[in-house]
Amino acid sequence: MTVVSFINFYLVPGVVLGSIYALGAIGITMVFGILRFAHFAHGDMATLGAFFALALVGAGMGPWTALPFAMIVTAVVAIAVDRGFYEHLAKRPKILTVIASLGIALMLRSVVQVVWGVDPQTYSRGIVRPESFGGILLRPRELYTLATVVALVLGLVAFLKYTRWGKAMRAMSDNPDLARLSGVDNRRVTMLTWATVGALTTASGFMLGINNELTSMMGWSMLLPMFAAAILGGVGRVEGAVVGGLIVGLAEELSVLVMPGQYKMATAFAILLAILVLRPSGVFKGKVL
Amino acid sequence: MIPLLSMQDVRGGYGDADILQGVSIDVAPREIVVIVGPNGAGKSTAMKAVVGLLDVRGGQILFDGDDITGWTPDRIVRRGICYVPQVDNVFREMTVHENFEMGAFLRRGDLTAAYDRVYGLFPDLRAKRRNLAGDLSGGQRQMVAMGRALMLEPGLLLLDEPTAGLSPKYMEQIFQIIRDVRDSGVSIMLVEQHAKQALAFCDRGYVLATGANRHQGTGAALLADREVAQMFLGA
Repeated sequence: MTVVSFINFYLVPGVVLGSIYALGAIGITMVFGILRFAHFAHGDMATLGAFFALALVGAGMGPWTALPFAMIVTAVVAIAVDRGFYEHLAKRPKILTVIASLGIALMLRSVVQVVWGVDPQTYSRGIVRPESFGGILLRPRELYTLATVVALVLGLVAFLKYTRWGKAMRAMSDNPDLARLSGVDNRRVTMLTWATVGALTTASGFMLGINNELTSMMGWSMLLPMFAAAILGGVGRVEGAVVGGLIVGLAEELSVLVMPGQYKMATAFAILLAILVLRPSGVFKGKVL
Repeated sequence: MIPLLSMQDVRGGYGDADILQGVSIDVAPREIVVIVGPNGAGKSTAMKAVVGLLDVRGGQILFDGDDITGWTPDRIVRRGICYVPQVDNVFREMTVHENFEMGAFLRRGDLTAAYDRVYGLFPDLRAKRRNLAGDLSGGQRQMVAMGRALMLEPGLLLLDEPTAGLSPKYMEQIFQIIRDVRDSGVSIMLVEQHAKQALAFCDRGYVLATGANRHQGTGAALLADREVAQMFLGA
């Protein structure tokens, strides 16, 4: 196999898949870091957001134009889910919220199945010809995916680093008691976290949909690799989630070189097991689960 | 003299048991008051009652003309009482300067004067402003914790064992900084394990035992008291 075909058939799809996982893993790591629970509805929230974008595409919008609107709608849905369900469990043991999020996952998926059906759908029909950059084949949607992921990650990092409420979110993740003693409004940080998480997870669902197809199960099946990426990078670490996502995505695509394709999904599971045994705090030393 | 803070016969605890069984402590403007006593006497608990971290079930806490009994911590912070816990008192994964920024979270407008004041009190920290607080030494972390609390320019600063685990050299330095803070117009209430040194340096002291007042007086008087010396100072 030549270098060029390795890049075209393994590296590019791996990086694309990895960036999709990275966006999802950032959300998981933020919910865990700031709100302290594992959010099992994360994948299905991605599905819902992706289907919101599909509805807008059906109304005549271009897919990439529809994305920001779908992100906003899902952000509102995420806040509503928190206010309607998770908030009432905030003072109870966290395991109750974890299990509740499993219920939310089923509810969101059912909404998608009732409204949009269970058949695979696509944002646009027809085959897109990749363009050749010195032998390396890239489709426009792959370029847009990478550019969008980079823009979203940089935007998020800048928000967390330089803005008043971004710092409040980091403070709440770092030391919740001290954040409250500094006068940080817990409820507002929670709301901001859900808005961010809802928007990012929509982007990850959308990217998966536009690079493959949309199915009602796609988010759920992304959950394991996204969790593996978040834990690999160190829970609570945004930069770790990005690196973790890329590693898991690449590993899944490269695993085909040495294993039958059916075992692709097992790669994430193997990575998750290995990291929990060898270094449970993750590559970037996050909070231990 | 009207005290700035007045705890009057305060009772309360976490959950069902009352840890405080009638504690009365006054802090006058520009006064350093130290609370000493054996382990389990309720020293830290008394301090937590002031900042609203305890279920107060009896008595009153007055601050600067307001009855703050039962207020939430953020409201008490806004009113002008800042608290430095004994452990976990900095944002470890934020820089020194970001810790100060978080301290000023409730303040708007120009904070240059507040930063100058804090860096003036802790000149060592100016060079370390971009370091993560978690990477600093114990003494420097304590300074970051105090600086964070001072950013709100409180009228009263509560310090829970600020010298715990520090070398004698740092202990002296922290005591000196506490005096400097007082001289800048802040009243201070602190809990101390190092009873002898703390009583020697404070204006007035309270000795608590089993959740209630046992002795009180000027630091010098308490140091000279035979019973206090025998009970708590190991002399």
